[in-house]
Amino acid sequence: MPSTQDIRRRIKSVQSTKKITKAMELVATSKMKKAIAAALATRPYANLSWATVLSLAANLQEDLHPLLKKVYKRDVKKIGLVVISSNRGLCGGYNAQLTNKVLSFLKDSKAKLDQDAELYLMGKKSQELVFKYGTTAVAEFEKLDIISDTQEIRPLSKMIVKDFMRKKYDKILVAYTDFVSTIKQVPRIKQLLPIKMEKKEEYLGIVGEDTRLGLDEKFVQEKQDKYLKTDKYQYGYKFEPNPRKVLNAMLPRLIEIQLYQALLESNASEQSARMIAMKNASDAASDMIYDLSLAYNKARQTSITREIAEISAGAMAQNDN
Amino acid sequence: MKITFEIITPEREVLKTEISQLTVPTSDGQITILPHHIPLVATLMPGEIVAKKNGEEILMAISGGFLEVLKNKIVILADTAERAEEIDEKRAEEARKRAQELKDKKSFDRVEFATLQVKIEKELARLRVARRHRGSRGVPNIGND
Repeated sequence: MPSTQDIRRRIKSVQSTKKITKAMELVATSKMKKAIAAALATRPYANLSWATVLSLAANLQEDLHPLLKKVYKRDVKKIGLVVISSNRGLCGGYNAQLTNKVLSFLKDSKAKLDQDAELYLMGKKSQELVFKYGTTAVAEFEKLDIISDTQEIRPLSKMIVKDFMRKKYDKILVAYTDFVSTIKQVPRIKQLLPIKMEKKEEYLGIVGEDTRLGLDEKFVQEKQDKYLKTDKYQYGYKFEPNPRKVLNAMLPRLIEIQLYQALLESNASEQSARMIAMKNASDAASDMIYDLSLAYNKARQTSITREIAEISAGAMAQNDN
Repeated sequence: MKITFEIITPEREVLKTEISQLTVPTSDGQITILPHHIPLVATLMPGEIVAKKNGEEILMAISGGFLEVLKNKIVILADTAERAEEIDEKRAEEARKRAQELKDKKSFDRVEFATLQVKIEKELARLRVARRHRGSRGVPNIGND
């Protein structure tokens, strides 16, 4: 049986922990609101630009750009993977989930291709993948806490486009955490390059649940029927100044936007995960304080009862004499 | 005949409305799009966009982006875009001056110089749009409907 003083000390320590978690919860909540607003605001742009490129891809008669081809002849031998994690911990299972996803992906691709995929890291916590699990990283980018502009992702997007064009990698994907709602975040791996229409799952273009567009083949077909056809005639796109120049400007921008969107989604997810984790911690602390107070009161009452019993026993012994 | 018009930036949807004609600065020069235009994809330069709706003009400044014209539907994916009434003229002027000073003062490598040049053009476009807007004040505000 711990003494009343011990229990009191524990209550105090739990109380001060609760104060910290509560403060972190409030900070995470306000950051989360901003992060979610940013992620939601970019979704229409990301989706629309993806839709434009997809319908261009469906209408191209010939290969005009190395990033956008009807058929890629080269075999997929080497894979690059962008990993977007958080800078800090204390956000529940956020980083662990992502790490697991990445590790199982690495295992699969190794089994398939007999070669390790290489990582581009973003966010301090992603370093764990290298230190703890011995994966290979080609580059590590600093993740800023406040992201306001697509410029911050530009060095990374330039690098992956260059690596893809130089055939260092035949496929480049991004691992990030998709923000579904405040209580649900899903780690996902999506293909960035080559830009290709494949199964619905593979798109980075579809983000979240409530997007305006369903960006699969059906959507592109519908868009064509609605906007590119009159009776029997099918229109081709006209490019200004010319197809090569337009695609040259548009495709790197698309990759940039997709990465930017992934980053914003990850941020919104991180802050939500942190808020929930801190909320749980505060609740647990409240429960603990309740239990400890009960134990404290019981111990106090026991000691009082014991003292009275001892005093009255003493008094009785005196009276007997 | 109406065209569905949408202009969107990574930060927000600037305008989504029905218009009857649109003038945009493409990299080949200024073009005006009327209903029944053929499908077109073009790169845009920093400059001003003029959309006509029921005889009223909606002015906007953009800093570059892409234009996609479909059958009676136009989508502009802009890097940044502002409606005329949102631009603070004084601050736009200051921003342009700062960019110009930077460009005059130092020597840069090519990329930096190009970035600054684009910035100056963007600020100039914002200024022009704001001034035109001020000149034509009294025209009722067209809501984002």
